Amino acid sequence: MDFNLTEEQRAIKKAAREFSEKELTPELAVEFDQREEFPFELYKKAAKLGFTSMRFPEKYGGQGYGVLEDCLVTEEMCRVDPGLGVAVMLGTLMFPDGLLMFGTEEQKQRYIPPLCTGEKICAAAFSEPAHGSDITRMDTTAKKHGAEWILSGNKEFITNAPVADFFCVLCQTDTEVSPSHKGESLFAVEKGTPGLEVTKLQGKMGIKPCVTGSLALSDAAIPEANLIGELNKGFYYALDLFNGTRIAVAAEAVGMAQGAFERALRYSKERKQFGSPIIQFQGVSFKLAEMAIKIETARLITYKAAWLYDQGKMDPMTTAMAKAYASKVAMDVTDQAIQIHGGYGYLAEYHVERFHRCAKITEIYEGTTEIQKLTISRYLLKRILA
Amino acid sequence: MKELLVLAEHRQGDLRDITFEMLTKGRELSQALNADLTVLLLGHNVKGIAKKLTDRAKRVLVVDDERLRNFNAEGYQRVLSHLLSERKPLLTLVGHTAFGVDLAPSLAAELDIPLATDCINLGFEGEKLVVFRQVYEGKVNVRASLRKSESYIVTLRPATFEIEEVKPLGGEIVEIPSPPSLSDDMSYKRFIEYYQPPAGDVDITAADIIVAVGRGIRDVENVPVVEKLAKAFGGVLACSRPIVDKGWLPSDRQVGASGKTVKPKLYLAVGISGQFQHISGMRSSDLIIAINKDSKAPIFRTADYGVVEDLFKVVPALTDRILEEKG
Amino acid sequence: MDIIVCVKHVPETAEADVAIAEDGKSIKTTELVYDINEWDDYAAEEAVLLRDKLGGSVTAITVGSEEADSTLRKCLARGADRAIRLTDEAFEGSDSYVTAKILSKVIKNLPFDLILTGAQASDDGCAQVGVVLAELLGIPHATMVKKLEPKDGIVKVNQELEGGLEEIMELKLPAMLAIQTGINEPRYISIMGIRKAMKKELKVLGLKDIGLTEEEVGESGSWIIVEKMFVPSVEKEAEILTGGVDEIATKITETLKTRGLI
Repeated sequence: MDFNLTEEQRAIKKAAREFSEKELTPELAVEFDQREEFPFELYKKAAKLGFTSMRFPEKYGGQGYGVLEDCLVTEEMCRVDPGLGVAVMLGTLMFPDGLLMFGTEEQKQRYIPPLCTGEKICAAAFSEPAHGSDITRMDTTAKKHGAEWILSGNKEFITNAPVADFFCVLCQTDTEVSPSHKGESLFAVEKGTPGLEVTKLQGKMGIKPCVTGSLALSDAAIPEANLIGELNKGFYYALDLFNGTRIAVAAEAVGMAQGAFERALRYSKERKQFGSPIIQFQGVSFKLAEMAIKIETARLITYKAAWLYDQGKMDPMTTAMAKAYASKVAMDVTDQAIQIHGGYGYLAEYHVERFHRCAKITEIYEGTTEIQKLTISRYLLKRILA
Repeated sequence: MKELLVLAEHRQGDLRDITFEMLTKGRELSQALNADLTVLLLGHNVKGIAKKLTDRAKRVLVVDDERLRNFNAEGYQRVLSHLLSERKPLLTLVGHTAFGVDLAPSLAAELDIPLATDCINLGFEGEKLVVFRQVYEGKVNVRASLRKSESYIVTLRPATFEIEEVKPLGGEIVEIPSPPSLSDDMSYKRFIEYYQPPAGDVDITAADIIVAVGRGIRDVENVPVVEKLAKAFGGVLACSRPIVDKGWLPSDRQVGASGKTVKPKLYLAVGISGQFQHISGMRSSDLIIAINKDSKAPIFRTADYGVVEDLFKVVPALTDRILEEKG
Repeated sequence: MDIIVCVKHVPETAEADVAIAEDGKSIKTTELVYDINEWDDYAAEEAVLLRDKLGGSVTAITVGSEEADSTLRKCLARGADRAIRLTDEAFEGSDSYVTAKILSKVIKNLPFDLILTGAQASDDGCAQVGVVLAELLGIPHATMVKKLEPKDGIVKVNQELEGGLEEIMELKLPAMLAIQTGINEPRYISIMGIRKAMKKELKVLGLKDIGLTEEEVGESGSWIIVEKMFVPSVEKEAEILTGGVDEIATKITETLKTRGLI
């Protein structure tokens, strides 16, 4: 057993830290938090250095690393700024992963390289107005018509929707089958497809530079070849994909917690009350100690989930634990970071309130904490029965 | 009798301040050691300079040679290695300047004479030469001793030793011939010319109020935050070295050893840590106020008033307050 | 053009709390982050830029412990072709002179046209290694270099002097140039660079490999020996203005008013 990162992993972490600290400036963070716009320039810069294509093979222009290395970069970026960090790292969200696992060689060649270089951005359209965490049934349908698929329906809360060039869309291809999830399929859809309309969603609580929107598909025709993998396997593909992204969300949460913690630590050394720095007071120092314990444990389980994934031993229970626990830690730690800052913590210019607002999403997207607990309890049940 | 040598530094016909600083310290040392204080002057047509030096040393050794017209470490080193081998001075002082940094280490290595660079103080404790230096960006001081030797070379940090006023000593000028080693085949390194980068539209040395910005500004896009404050004061914007290195402001705005030396009525240092190179360019300002997040930043040892705060909070508030005051 | 760049792995202390260690001769390093010396970062970047323009190779060399590998890997990730780390227990306590001596023993057996170093290191600030190294190798040198152009066996350099003045010199190659900050814009380390760097050669050599004796290195070979480190006593300290931001702004304004500066 070895808890050390390798020399290479340490170099990756350091490179990501250097880039983040110089590029994800607090001023830029506040600006994009207010404007709720995607930071294109930053995304391209990060992509050119390889940060956004960590887990894709070199063959397609990626870096050939695993989920763990991807997590190291995500953690460092979110540590410096959660909003910009998430926006940059989610530009290549899920779609390439889906193609790599289930797509054809042609699909991989067509879509993955421009995503690696940062020229393109992608999105995964699973959630619907009536179905968030529950993807066992889709209202969006895809019907075969000659050599084309005709897509119709609405997708809601789609990360990157307003800026994405490529979408992978989960549709009901068999509306008769029972259970319904056995009739879902995954499709590649390109921006500009007639019948595809995108609307931007404004007013999110946090991760505002990571833009969100909805998709309206009205008889959008796409080529037959855009089916990803096999017909009616989409639900299972989506589950597999979530197992990867949930680890990334845990890494986001660890980074956010770490960033807020460091700010609180620094502040507690500088801020004086009753003649001494507030870190001298046990009320504050114990808080910091507890924050440190939580972050370290969240990091360990996140790395373990990532490591298992990269070993080909992906464990849904560990993954669910990592996501549920790290996101809770992010909420707790960012909350305490505000508390340590007192009244200043409530102000935007002290930045910790932004960390707290952003942290909340980690308990929600890519499967809410409740869904994670459901997964964990199901596995526990199986184990008891076994 | 023991001898203490000071290597005079001059450029384009003028003695540099470091020469007088070294002579001040050199005089104190020579008295304590009961040693002769000798100035060594290398150059061409340097009679005027030599005369000035006689005010401060009993003996001024002059090597006047066309080949020493401009500072060239190669030529200087040949003359000095000859002289040091012959005279064996107990201690030779050189400035820790662009000139000294280029010369002293190779001279010391050639003769295997122990060298200490960038010293802020030194003295003999019996036979032992003890020096004081600053390390870790001015946050820590070191006391170090040099290996026992019959000769030492020490370079002194500029703008660290006060120049004392002295009654002219009326020392003698001793011309000595160039050693044969200063041959014409010095082809390793050739001086071509001095280059003064073109001046911009603002002369910071003429300003009464300077607001200077440093690394703490983090990004070029934040420079206007500080520029606004400078404008509110009716002063000019200057900066420390890293800002010029990054190309955020032109080099004629740089305050410090490698930039300009300024003496305004008010010097407001914003996000500047205060490395000695910067301090040497602004320490004579009438009033110095520093704003820096790091309470341990060396700038607070030079400033009259300090603010330990995030510049992005203080500067806008101060700008507003000044503008209010001015109506 | 074959270029050797000498680099140093140093703690970042500019914004850190620095405390003296138990031995009283060093600082506590456990809490500090180490990285390539800032000046050396510019030197390494300049070496790679030159190699990309003129062909040849870049070799990064350091004297340091195993931790210094991260600094060498950084040079390799930036584009250096190979790296050498000089490590031996006997090197402990070496000053700049000994460091230059160790480097010279290795470099003299390597082909090179140019040696680049940083003009100084942010930890000890001695500004000696490059110049001593040049002397030991018998090659010309220039320091505080802020511009360089090699051509036909000669390198033309702009050396920074005081007060914004520069001095233009020509040096015969091979030569040693100590690089000043600002000469270029060191690039970010890319993931592609790291990937390649891990496959490049990083050779480790010790005392026996370089032909020096134990007496010639470490404290026994050094010119200067650290006796004590201490946090400088403050002769003069700024009067710190406290309070809220607005309060501070008012205090400053009042001070300036009494001095007739507003």
